[in-house]
Amino acid sequence: MNIFPENATTYGQEIDNLFYLILTFVAIAFVISVVVLFYPMFRYSEKRNPKAQYITGEKKSHFKWVMYALIMLAMSDFIIMYAEHGTWEKIEEDVPTDGIRVGITGIQWNWVFNYAGKDGKVMTADDIVINEANSELHVPINTNIIMELRARDVVHDVFLPNARTKYDVIPGRTHVKWANFTKVGKYEVVCSQICGVLHSKMRNYIVVDTKEDYDKYMAALYAKQDSANAPKPAAPAIDTTAKADSTKAADKK
Amino acid sequence: MSNNTKALDIRQVPQGRLAMWTLIAGELIIFGGLIAVYLLNRIRYPEWGAEAVHTSTMFGAINTCVLLLSSFTIVLAHNEANKNNIKRAQLYMFLTIVGGLAFLCIKSIEYSREISEGLTFTSPAMVAKGEGVKSLFWSFYYIMTGLHALHVIAGMTTIFIIMMQIGKGKNIHRVELAGMYWHMVDLVWIFLFPLLYIAK
Amino acid sequence: MEHGHKQSFASKYLFSTDHKVIGIQYITVGLLMAVIGGFLAYVFRYNLAFPGKDIPLFGQLLPQQYNTFITNHGMIMVFWVGMPILLSGLGNLLIPTMVGTDDMAFPFLNMLSFWIFTLSAIVLIAAFFVPGGAFGGGWTMYPPLSAGGYMNTSPDLLTALFSGTSLMILAVALEFVAMLMGGINFLVTTINKRAKGMTPWRIPLIVWFLDIASVIFMFSCGPLVAGAFMLLLDNIVGTGFFDASRGGDPILWQHLFWFFGHPEVYVLLLPALGVLGEIIPVFSRKPLFAYKTIIYLALASAVLSVVVWAHHQFVSGIDPRMATFFSVGTIIISIPFAGIFLAFMATLWGGSIKFTVPMMFALGFVALFLVGGLTGLFLGSNAFDIYAHDSYFVVAHFHYTLFPDIFFGFFAAFYFWFPKYLGKELNVTLGKIHFWLTTIFFNSTFFLLFFNGLHGQHRRINDYSFFGNVAMEPYSTFEKVATISAICLILSQLVFVLNLFKTLSSGKKAAKNPWNAATLEWVTDTPPIHGNFETFPEVYRGPYEYSVPDAKDDFIPQNVAN
Repeated sequence: MNIFPENATTYGQEIDNLFYLILTFVAIAFVISVVVLFYPMFRYSEKRNPKAQYITGEKKSHFKWVMYALIMLAMSDFIIMYAEHGTWEKIEEDVPTDGIRVGITGIQWNWVFNYAGKDGKVMTADDIVINEANSELHVPINTNIIMELRARDVVHDVFLPNARTKYDVIPGRTHVKWANFTKVGKYEVVCSQICGVLHSKMRNYIVVDTKEDYDKYMAALYAKQDSANAPKPAAPAIDTTAKADSTKAADKK
Repeated sequence: MSNNTKALDIRQVPQGRLAMWTLIAGELIIFGGLIAVYLLNRIRYPEWGAEAVHTSTMFGAINTCVLLLSSFTIVLAHNEANKNNIKRAQLYMFLTIVGGLAFLCIKSIEYSREISEGLTFTSPAMVAKGEGVKSLFWSFYYIMTGLHALHVIAGMTTIFIIMMQIGKGKNIHRVELAGMYWHMVDLVWIFLFPLLYIAK
Repeated sequence: MEHGHKQSFASKYLFSTDHKVIGIQYITVGLLMAVIGGFLAYVFRYNLAFPGKDIPLFGQLLPQQYNTFITNHGMIMVFWVGMPILLSGLGNLLIPTMVGTDDMAFPFLNMLSFWIFTLSAIVLIAAFFVPGGAFGGGWTMYPPLSAGGYMNTSPDLLTALFSGTSLMILAVALEFVAMLMGGINFLVTTINKRAKGMTPWRIPLIVWFLDIASVIFMFSCGPLVAGAFMLLLDNIVGTGFFDASRGGDPILWQHLFWFFGHPEVYVLLLPALGVLGEIIPVFSRKPLFAYKTIIYLALASAVLSVVVWAHHQFVSGIDPRMATFFSVGTIIISIPFAGIFLAFMATLWGGSIKFTVPMMFALGFVALFLVGGLTGLFLGSNAFDIYAHDSYFVVAHFHYTLFPDIFFGFFAAFYFWFPKYLGKELNVTLGKIHFWLTTIFFNSTFFLLFFNGLHGQHRRINDYSFFGNVAMEPYSTFEKVATISAICLILSQLVFVLNLFKTLSSGKKAAKNPWNAATLEWVTDTPPIHGNFETFPEVYRGPYEYSVPDAKDDFIPQNVAN
């Protein structure tokens, strides 16, 4: 039995390792605490120890045992903090700049995917928008996928269990997160923040292709876009957000 | 009933005053939260300065004076109540209520001026023009001054009830409590006035 | 004559200003709400194990109803079970008797507080019966879902006011008013109405903790009250405080909510810890270990509690560097609480432990909370929280903290103080059966859910067969085990109900001080008379004088002079 689902990203293993590291500390703390809790229940039961000792615990010589335990706890806390901080920075703070940009927009109740198109920017007119129900996002393997996360109506949460990443999407905000997939496959993108009646059915897929397959797939998409060639000003999927953004921009002037 | 005559009294601060301080602390945190949220938004949206122009500093200033005066009269009422001059205490309390009423009247004149300009709680005209951010200033303006006005009304009601009670010779110590509450109402306004009227 | 009798019933049991009656009223309403909360849990747990099947006693559960039920289960269990039972119920029962006075400082305010609380419960339940049903967007009520995004409330003011969302906000606001009134009473009573000689360091731990909890509550709920006002206006007049397209910010609500919501955890935890602090010394026949230090630790945690709220928002769009700050804060706050629990464990060492029913619940609380507390380390470290956030790991974690806290804390208090305040002896065998069934089924309900969470099971989904990572074995079996255990857990509370009614109808009269405890409530009659004490006691010593060397008995009540 695997504790975690299949890992498919470069940083996924770090999260798993972090779990086992914390588990080690927690297990030690748990065993010690259980001994400290259950041993006296046995040793100092009414039968074995009919007369209790008078210990107030206000003396330093008594309290030092609690202090040792607290210092141990504080130390393991900070070891955990130290160990995990690098992972946090890597996933949340140091978003790479090179890679493929995609837009993931939460709507009630699906994910809408945007490819950046030719200009390399998401949420522009030349985006290729995939918004038919349950059409997946194809991404290449071993490439930084920079995800711009948005929400159109309510708060959602992009959760990629196999990528070990998750982030809320909030109306009016754009969060830029990333992933680098190391395995070909089809992975779920679910919504982890309650978003209304059909929150339970909100799910889409990210398909990780080999580079050749991905290029083929994109070429087909571009061909389709060219043949349609309808000068759509902005894809319908980005309407509201685009308007909100432009409103803000106009207000700033 | 038990024999309560031996009830031990170790209180240092009178009970009512202690409760009132606690209540005021709670109220100030509610307003504090609101003011903090307003300030964060104000920093985020510099264009709110242009909206604040529509609030009338003159009316605000008059209202500040009215409230300060009414705070002064409630202090006098407390003073007279301490000396057991019930009639004079009642007079000063009545003046405080008049001050509160004057405040509310001026406030309603202000509100009606602003509403006639289309600046309402939701300012639908602004939202329709795509100036939602500006309409948010007015939402804050109304929620802050409105919540404060509710406190003015609550304070006036309290003072009125206590005024009636001391007329019957009861609860004279409560004049002080009403005064504390009224000072809190005044204090909140002292914060709202510069935030909504002066800073443009 | 008959009319007069009726009135006296109402004034004695319904509109009483006696703190004991009000305390029992609070606990009764809390338990009734727990029945509703438990029923909701039963319905959605059943649906999770057997999706789409007809639920006995209910029928089909629609997705929207599922959302409504989980939302209200959370709301009810935290605000209408935990708060009234632990804070208001125990506070009202215990504070005046433990500090040695006749009643609360403001008895009328106290009664008013109870009735406003009851009104708030009615408003919350009423939301189930309005068109559109109760709110179903999670108990955290994140806008825009709670600001019209859920049911697209009509712009008509009255309809919007009587929508499930608005009623829930109103119910919470009313409850806060009630709790604030109660909090003022607790503080003023403790500060002003203590018996002679009851110096601060002679006040029993639970009174300290109830007061600290009241202070935390008062100082953290203000911003949320303001936020609730804004959210209500968003709903009924259509302002845009939380509407991003009009410059509002949905994250603002999350800050306001969790600025209150996290201290709220300690508001619930501290009274239950106070219960432990009373029970463990009595049944170890030993003074509470490091009584003063525990209080200092609790004060420290009260201060820290207002700087940890954003650990609920590690992945919700706050600045990642901020998250590190809150992660450190969260980990630091674990230290005072660990200290308090260690002090309780240290109290056991060298004692003479009696395994009575309250003691079993108290020790069970410590043991279970250990799991809840330690799993908190996973979630407090922000990098792992990226993965575990909003998963069943979190669900299992907070049930391992809040269930022992609310229910074990309450049951410990119940079995401990019931003989005093209702004057009847509870059945010990039934009590022990109740303890073991509750402990076993609680663990089998929630422990396996940790694994479901780690395997990527996210929260608030009515049918997991839709999702590849968790539809597989053994995780779907775990769901079924959890559901069957949860049903057993609910059913085993019938033992408690049986014990309660059996005792009330035919229980033996309890002695004045059945546990040989030293605090003041055991000094007076059983049950305490109206006014509590015939003559007010004078206090000469601390609350935990057990097994004092060279003393006649193994305990010295607080009111005994040398």
